[in-house]
Amino acid sequence: MSNPSDSTPIAGFSSSGDQVIVPLTPTQLAIRRFRKHRMANIGLFILGFILVYISFGSLLSRGYCAPLQTDLTGEAYANCNDTKLKLQPPSKDHIFGTDVIGRDIFARTIYGGQISVLIGISAAIFEVVLGMLIGAIAAYYGGWIDNLLMRFTEAMLNIPSLFLLIIGARFFGGGLPTINFFGRELTGSVIIIIVIIGLTSWMYLARIVRANILSLRERDYVSASRALGASDARIIFSHLLPNTIAPLVVSATLGVASAIISEAYVSFLGLGVQGSTATWGNMLDGAYQYLEKAPWLWFFPGTLILLIVLGINFVGDGLRDALDPYSTRHV
Amino acid sequence: MSRKLYILLSLLVAVSMLLAACGAPAAEEPAVTEEAAASTGGETAAEPTFSGTATITFVQEPDSLNPLYTSMFFSGITRDFWLKGMWSFDNNNEPVLEIAAEVPSADNGGLSADGTTIVYKLRDDVFWSDGEPVTADDFVFTYDMIMSDANVVQSRYPYEDYVTSVTATDPQTVTVTFSEPFAAWLTTVFNYVLPKHVLQPVFDAEGTLDNAEWNKAPTVGVGPFVFSEWESGSHLIFTANPAWVNTPSLEQVFIRIVPDDAAQEAAIVAGDTDIGVFLSSDQIPTLEADGTVDVVAVSSGYDEGWFMNVNPETAHPAMLDVNVRKAVALATDRFTIINDLLDASINPVNATFWDGTAPYGGNVEPYPYDPEQAKALLDAAGWVDSNGDGTRDKDGVELVLRYITNTRELRKNVQAVVQQQWSLVGIGAQLENYSSDVFWNGYNDGGPQAQGIYDIAEYSSVGSFPDPEASANFLCSEISSADNPDGANWQGICDEELDALLNEQAVTLDVNKRIDLYHQIGQLMFDKVYYIGVWLDPDLWSINSRLQNVTLSGATPFWNAHEWTVAP
Amino acid sequence: MSTYILRRLGQAIPQLFIISIILFMLMQAFGDPVATLGARTPPKPEDKERLRRMLGLDQPPYMQYITWLVGNDWQQLDMDGDGVPETNGSRKGILRGDWGNSLVTRRPVMEMIGERLPNTLILMVTAEIIIIGLSLVIGLYSALRPYSFFDNLITGLSFVGFSMPVFWLALSLMYLFAVNFRRWGLPYLPTVGMFDPAVGKTPWELIKHMVLPVSTLAIISIAGYSRFVRSSVLEVLSQDYVRTARSKGVASRFVVWKHALPNAALPFITLIGLDIPFLLAGAVVTERIFAWPGMGRLFIDHTERADFPMLMGILMLISIAVVVFQIITDVVYSLVDPRIRLN
Repeated sequence: MSNPSDSTPIAGFSSSGDQVIVPLTPTQLAIRRFRKHRMANIGLFILGFILVYISFGSLLSRGYCAPLQTDLTGEAYANCNDTKLKLQPPSKDHIFGTDVIGRDIFARTIYGGQISVLIGISAAIFEVVLGMLIGAIAAYYGGWIDNLLMRFTEAMLNIPSLFLLIIGARFFGGGLPTINFFGRELTGSVIIIIVIIGLTSWMYLARIVRANILSLRERDYVSASRALGASDARIIFSHLLPNTIAPLVVSATLGVASAIISEAYVSFLGLGVQGSTATWGNMLDGAYQYLEKAPWLWFFPGTLILLIVLGINFVGDGLRDALDPYSTRHV
Repeated sequence: MSRKLYILLSLLVAVSMLLAACGAPAAEEPAVTEEAAASTGGETAAEPTFSGTATITFVQEPDSLNPLYTSMFFSGITRDFWLKGMWSFDNNNEPVLEIAAEVPSADNGGLSADGTTIVYKLRDDVFWSDGEPVTADDFVFTYDMIMSDANVVQSRYPYEDYVTSVTATDPQTVTVTFSEPFAAWLTTVFNYVLPKHVLQPVFDAEGTLDNAEWNKAPTVGVGPFVFSEWESGSHLIFTANPAWVNTPSLEQVFIRIVPDDAAQEAAIVAGDTDIGVFLSSDQIPTLEADGTVDVVAVSSGYDEGWFMNVNPETAHPAMLDVNVRKAVALATDRFTIINDLLDASINPVNATFWDGTAPYGGNVEPYPYDPEQAKALLDAAGWVDSNGDGTRDKDGVELVLRYITNTRELRKNVQAVVQQQWSLVGIGAQLENYSSDVFWNGYNDGGPQAQGIYDIAEYSSVGSFPDPEASANFLCSEISSADNPDGANWQGICDEELDALLNEQAVTLDVNKRIDLYHQIGQLMFDKVYYIGVWLDPDLWSINSRLQNVTLSGATPFWNAHEWTVAP
Repeated sequence: MSTYILRRLGQAIPQLFIISIILFMLMQAFGDPVATLGARTPPKPEDKERLRRMLGLDQPPYMQYITWLVGNDWQQLDMDGDGVPETNGSRKGILRGDWGNSLVTRRPVMEMIGERLPNTLILMVTAEIIIIGLSLVIGLYSALRPYSFFDNLITGLSFVGFSMPVFWLALSLMYLFAVNFRRWGLPYLPTVGMFDPAVGKTPWELIKHMVLPVSTLAIISIAGYSRFVRSSVLEVLSQDYVRTARSKGVASRFVVWKHALPNAALPFITLIGLDIPFLLAGAVVTERIFAWPGMGRLFIDHTERADFPMLMGILMLISIAVVVFQIITDVVYSLVDPRIRLN
């Protein structure tokens, strides 16, 4: 990616000489830097495409379901299986082919995409909330609380996350009732996967938040509100956390990407979302047994995962440059 | 440092060349293989020569080679090569004598009239691979080791519950006494024997066999082949044992560990392996495509089935009604499933738990696919769709059944197909999948089956093949609960008639009478719909035509390994 | 220096304790190790009950942890099931070097890891050498020509590499170089295993079988690392002393080799040092797909059997490696960079 901080004009000053200087707010500046970030724009385009695909694509999910002898639309069509049509290569009727029990892969990538994105975003939110809480509590209270929480954070960081995911998936695995989410039936395992991914990925965030707050804590305005008798919670939530927002936004964005990949890993190892609910990850489950016979089984969901993760990474990189031009970059 | 490296490298090269030589087909390099055979076979020229290598793929690595410490399938079948018991079972499930001189019977005086004493006569020409004779003391030692509290052995069945003593009357005679007549003795007692002269010193020195070197590298065995090498995660090698009574013709058996079905399929198609196992029937066209590989189905008793939870305390109320259970069977088009997802000729729909364990299965016809009759039965039972949501209900309870299984892909697929089929008659399905270790957990570990957190559980099961014994799974006294956490009856079946039949067969030594009892048991469980067969699940083996005279059996698959030859 | 190392070790020990406690608690979630014992049908109830007792699985989790940690040779166990402890325990505990026995194979955990570790290492070390070499070359090349076509291309590609799920890359490589190359009659690569049993374990076989897994590991890591090298070189090149050197007329190549590279190498060393132990873990999926008989596959296989002594062993080994490499990295860093004083 091009490094926009090198080329952006110095904040707030127009380069064209004697015109009235209108100082830009930090937010406007950030937006401007973001829009100049080429990779970020490509990323936005990819994400836009995928959003259109998984939302409006559902209008194209329709067809005749032979075993039920009716025409179906939407998710019902995506779940319609016709074992007579199993493992069909891509064709006019099934442009991405069919899977091992004759479900339409195109329709399943659409509805699976919705779940994968839902998992990605929810897990990232969960991760951010958890990381923020732990980081903020550790930094604000300091002392033994800080010590305990940070030792715990370090310990979690030192366990490779894939192992944590595998173990976590077993820890919470098993039967949970089906729940209704915006009119869609979701198996309980969707929630489980969200929780597991969140629980195994909050550590970096907690550290960032803690470090930021530690440096902010001694600033005058915090001391002032403390002197005015503001409660701990109020200081944490209205002063400290908002000022750590930039790194949080970046981490949360990248968190969505890693959550989607994590979901795919867990599913790949057979521990992912269960039942008839499709996700890009569980569409890949077992598909590699058909590496040779039916490459369309793994190619389409795999490529979609690659695209969305790529898009999010581009955007995340743009956000990082935009929100915090002086941050040292870690890839 | 560099010197060490050099030595290591040259060793590596040497070993790999040796392996290359051994692994090469006999036809290409006869001279080399003969040399290798001569060097392993012995000093004298009179020794028989062996040639050829049979390569077998295992999709799981054996846990241990010592049968004391494992009940795993792949460890068990490996024993056919190197550690025989009293007898093996041929492809008709008839005993084939190995160490025993005869199968004890009432006629030859081996079986006492009350059925509690069995006398085993041993052959006098059977030797351990190091030349020591196999005697009755070895069998007594084996029994002692199984029962010793110093050894953490995998299973004491049936010795702990049924056997009261094992004695060596003379070097060629083993006498076993039972506490009561034990119908399953033929298939469960002395399937293996341990070399006393090797392991007794270890036991004396360490106080246990748990850490014996022999468990991993059993260099002394009794069978057509003898252990030679085991590289973890990669392969095992067994070489011809000239000391065995039935001299083998192959020079070695190479067992290759592959991680999954796809890798095994690739190896079979490429001709890298002569025998593969645990294949699925949808692989057959690919495997048999070029005509060199033959896929054979050998039953080891397994049938895929639905185990219905009828425990009033845990099951869906509808499950307690035999007509609803019958409707479930009628509403499921198992015939389409086996046609489209499996091979109908290999995996026909079974009716009873024992259909794979001939001759105990009987001639019960499975319930047909008849959604109309299923609807009628459900209507009559009071389950109707009163709220118009597409699923039947009664007294405010929706007819949604928890249909659980493990995470195996085929089972997940069947779940999805069945869910759709049920929707046509208004039965809802809640599909759940557990990783295998959790699926089989006991009551105290929150096992979903043991605790009855299900309505229908699907898996493939068997008795003590080729013996049908599986009573504990269905006896009222074995219902798992907080008071009986290790109970094996996870379905909550409590049926006096069934209990009586199961208890009677367990002590019936007359084979024909026992077969008749099992036919009654199968019919009863079919009529009451405690079990719904989904498909017969024989083991599918691939055999490359390069390897000849292979006749596999269900209980001891490689029983005739000494007859195998490699096509010149 | 030695006080520093001692202090770091002093910090590391409680950390490893915490890790072991977290892991042990998570292990409780695994199924019952005696639920199937790898057989196709569940074992007899009385065997399960006896095995749980003999293997100590009926003990409360904290006792199992204590046994795992310090052993049980100081207490009596009930092996015969009469409810009265009579046999001396034989476990020594991990603190005395006894990592326990696998519940699956009953063999010592360390022995089993020892059999697999070399296979993982041979894969990892090769991959790591390629990763370091290529990312240095690529990173340096793009840093010296920032915003050129090549630099942009590399940037784009590295993001693609970085975003790819490992298994998807592995499958694609397998599909192209093993499946399709064979179909097209080209020389193709083997897909699984370490060597072809028909040929034997020759170095050539090993190399052939390593190509795909090593490429998979390398492609994904090179992406990130080369970006890292690029940005640290750029940072160094923009610093005053480099500009001074340049303005004094020092040859550009000399500046790069003498000043930029060594300074840019420092953060790179750190990154590598911290990442190496995680590579051991990263091989889980790669080893699974390519059937490489390493530690990752050992982990997956034994996860399915709830073999917690084995899993604890592998995870603790990696955690120890992580902590040790953190210390080593710090020490190396201080040796290389005179500006840093430990203590």
